[in-house]
Amino acid sequence: MTVPDTGVRVEPGSFRDPGNRVFHRGDEVLRGLDERSARDWRALSAADFFRNLTAAGHVVGTEELTPTPVDAPWAAVLRHDRIPFVSHPYEWSCAMLRDAALLHLDVLGAALDAGFTTKDGSAYNVQWRGARPVFIDVGSFEALRDGEPWAGYRQFCQTLLYPLLVQAHLGLDFQPFLRARIDGIEPDQMRRLFAGTRRFRAGVPTHVHLHGAMQARNSAASTSDVRAQLRDAGFSRELARGTVRGLAKLVRRLDHRPGDSHWSDYQRTCAYSVPDRQAKETFVDRAVAATAPGTVLDLGANDGRYARIAARHAAHVVAVEQDPAVVDALYRALRDEGEQRILPLVLDLADPSPGGGWRGVERAAFADRARADVVLALALVHHLAIGRNVPLPEVLDQLTAFTATGGALVVEFVHPEDPMARRLLANKPDGLFPDYRRDAFEALLARRGRVVARTELPSGTRTLYQVVVGG
Amino acid sequence: MTHLAYLDAGSGSLIVQAVVGGVAGVAVAAKLYWRRLVSRFRRQPTDQG
Ligand SMILES: C[S@@+](CC[C@H](N)C(=O)[O-])C[C@H]1O[C@@H](n2cnc3c(N)ncnc32)[C@H](O)[C@@H]1O
Repeated sequence: MTVPDTGVRVEPGSFRDPGNRVFHRGDEVLRGLDERSARDWRALSAADFFRNLTAAGHVVGTEELTPTPVDAPWAAVLRHDRIPFVSHPYEWSCAMLRDAALLHLDVLGAALDAGFTTKDGSAYNVQWRGARPVFIDVGSFEALRDGEPWAGYRQFCQTLLYPLLVQAHLGLDFQPFLRARIDGIEPDQMRRLFAGTRRFRAGVPTHVHLHGAMQARNSAASTSDVRAQLRDAGFSRELARGTVRGLAKLVRRLDHRPGDSHWSDYQRTCAYSVPDRQAKETFVDRAVAATAPGTVLDLGANDGRYARIAARHAAHVVAVEQDPAVVDALYRALRDEGEQRILPLVLDLADPSPGGGWRGVERAAFADRARADVVLALALVHHLAIGRNVPLPEVLDQLTAFTATGGALVVEFVHPEDPMARRLLANKPDGLFPDYRRDAFEALLARRGRVVARTELPSGTRTLYQVVVGG
Repeated sequence: MTHLAYLDAGSGSLIVQAVVGGVAGVAVAAKLYWRRLVSRFRRQPTDQG
């Protein structure tokens, strides 16, 4: 087998460890390994712990291409199972970040017991299959050298533990911290956040204050000297295991439930009558079934009612919602059901994740990842057009840009007379949105696709459309 | 011969792991600091000479 030189695209987010590199060939996700990484892989793939973790779905399914493609500059090439939708830690809810941290520690613990370790400890090592975390960085495993602490501890603190401490102890949403800094929160910054009596909260004295102080005091010492000193002083594998156990115990304690927010109780308090809801559910079910989609994007998903309906007919659904507390509740519900096809994400559509890291492409922007066969925008347009002042044509441009060619946009228009639209309009000067009308909306839709189904809900103040985009 | 990681693990971040690893770890950290201290005293006469 040869790798054709066409259609191979290097993954811009995988350059940090020069020993291996992820690239895409068509729909395949491949990983090239240099000599040393290939040796690590061969030891790893023969290890029981790795096979068990893979079989249980905790580590992404991986196989080696044999024979090794000759026209690639690698000692070995692996193929990974495809993760349906790549997301970033700042798009996860706090229970998701916590479960990602626990998975990372479980994987590391099993590795240590078997004489392996991971080279790093980043939140970006984890992705999702619906509401189940998956460890994806197979290139991170290597043989453990006795007497050495975990090289990934600092990264684990900065991208997983510290955000969890900020959320659990301070009640601050962690997402903006991670979105702003690809390497997470520095110990130094954490010490300032946890001054005064806060310094005594669980995990803070050691992982924050002592850690920060040790860093400052040892900044001149090289890590190879310190490794040698630790080995001579008797650092053992049991100690490394003890550190991981201690971290897992701490993370388990950080089970913070965000308080109810404005949107938490929406399905109970919203304005829908029973006939309205039934008509809407039927319409959405039919529209999704007619398209038989691979991916569905449910925008403004709230408690995921329509994401679940879509999941009856779709391979997977990404449920996007701006409210972190609502996403957290949805994630917990999906997790408890063992759902593996609906991925809930925290994201404000009026301020979606930009590109991040090196050249702004190391972490892809949401706009570059979000393309779906069916896009649901239910009771959402008025929030963007009235609540956030986004011009109606632009709202529709964005919704159709999310929709794959030939795919369907299922969109609800809340008429200006509807109580919910009136409530939003009441916060803005009279006559600010003269074009927020059903006829204007329909004219805009007709310019962007073919309306194949339409229904007015029984209340008479909302209309649903199924639009085939560009097909 | 020490094998270096692609990631800067952070010298302080390595040492602090001994301390969070439990009682045995505190002993390791204490020993590390003690040895550093002793070697500093041992070095001093030659350093000055
Ligand atoms: C009226 S509810 C509709 C929920 C569900 N789609 C339905 O039709 O029943 C609107 C939801 O959209 C979310 N939302 C509003 N503006 C948003 C934005 N800019 N980005 C993401 N979600 C948003 C709200 O938090 C809320 O959960």
